[in-house]
Amino acid sequence: MTFNAILKKLFNKTDTKDVAKKRLKFALIYDKLEVSDDLLKNLQQDLVEVISRYFEIDRDAINLDIRRSEDSSALVFNTPIVSARHCRESTA
Amino acid sequence: MDGKVIVVTSGKGGVGKTTVTAAIGAAMAMQGKRVAVVDMDIGLRNLDVVMGLENRIVFNIVDVIQGKCKIKQAAVKDRRIDNLFLIPASQSHEKNVIRPENMIWLAGKLRKEFDFTFLDCPAGIEQGFKNSIAAADEAIVVCTPEVSSVRDADRVIGLLYARSIKPRLIINRIVPKMVENGDMLSHEDVLDVLSVDLLGLVVMDDKVVVSTNTGTPLVMQKDSAAGSAFQRIGLRLDGHPDLPIENPMGQKGFWKKLGAKFSRKN
Ligand SMILES: Nc1ncnc2c1ncn2[C@@H]1O[C@H](COP(=O)(O)OP(=O)(O)OP(=O)(O)O)[C@@H](O)[C@H]1O
Ligand SMILES: [Mg+2]
Repeated sequence: MTFNAILKKLFNKTDTKDVAKKRLKFALIYDKLEVSDDLLKNLQQDLVEVISRYFEIDRDAINLDIRRSEDSSALVFNTPIVSARHCRESTA
Repeated sequence: MDGKVIVVTSGKGGVGKTTVTAAIGAAMAMQGKRVAVVDMDIGLRNLDVVMGLENRIVFNIVDVIQGKCKIKQAAVKDRRIDNLFLIPASQSHEKNVIRPENMIWLAGKLRKEFDFTFLDCPAGIEQGFKNSIAAADEAIVVCTPEVSSVRDADRVIGLLYARSIKPRLIINRIVPKMVENGDMLSHEDVLDVLSVDLLGLVVMDDKVVVSTNTGTPLVMQKDSAAGSAFQRIGLRLDGHPDLPIENPMGQKGFWKKLGAKFSRKN
């Protein structure tokens, strides 16, 4: 440690590298949360297929989205139900 | 036995891929290996001037791939260091003239001729990167201790793992004084956020610029801290994987000792 560094510690200044490290960690987490439109479209198709086995749904009113806040991300899927299918149709 | 093809990549530009390729290539050739270094930056070649071989280029990598010449004709032999060869990029082609399948073919030939082939990747993750990783057995990721560079390294490391290529990291352009002052990420900080094995630590060294000025291999410069770091990296890549990685922070002086005591209390 240099003389300057000791002075900095004495006056309780934050190291800029600690700021850098914190920003880096958040950037890496954030990057990994980024989802492509293609992925969302495929996911929506798959979800509709599975849910349609159990419910009759309004395909045009479906809404699939990713909601982000400071410290978490959520997948939000919204669909109106028209009616339940009472006997489950065989998928075979 | 077949040789190894190692890609040198970074995502971010200007962090030292070409410097690393030239220096490790020269170091390993001096250690007695047959080495080829390949400039993958089609349209913007650089490795030739860094190595001081720019005046001796006849054919280039595109000529080899288009069947206009043999690998032996395109490979420029270094006259100062035995067993070191440069395959230059083309300056006049579009980068899309080479496809991944061409590189897989070329790498197959190079493995037969050379113990080690280093591919100097262009910056970015586009065609040149895709071509290079298609052909590579291993990868060296280069970064500097800066937020943008480490972030790009993380992205590239992810892409390499996705192709089952295990990357190893070189942290380049470390300025020990700035690390000491808390104004530069230390190598421990970088390794904390990246999931990758460390291959070497290289300090910022004026000799790097001096060596590219004259086109003299860095590892032939006397008293170059970066040069000796590259020599040790060369040994680590070939038969001495456990050679200790030197801490660039160096020896502790009076102020450092005092500072260390002081920061322990904090
Ligand atoms: N350890 C070092 N010490 C001092 N200067 C360095 C060091 N490493 C690289 N440089 C300098 O940094 C600059 C960029 O290096 P280099 O050309 O090797 O980067 P690159 O990653 O190949 O760039 P590009 O992405 O454009 O291909 C050069 O001027 C080089 O001399
Ligand atoms: Mg380069």
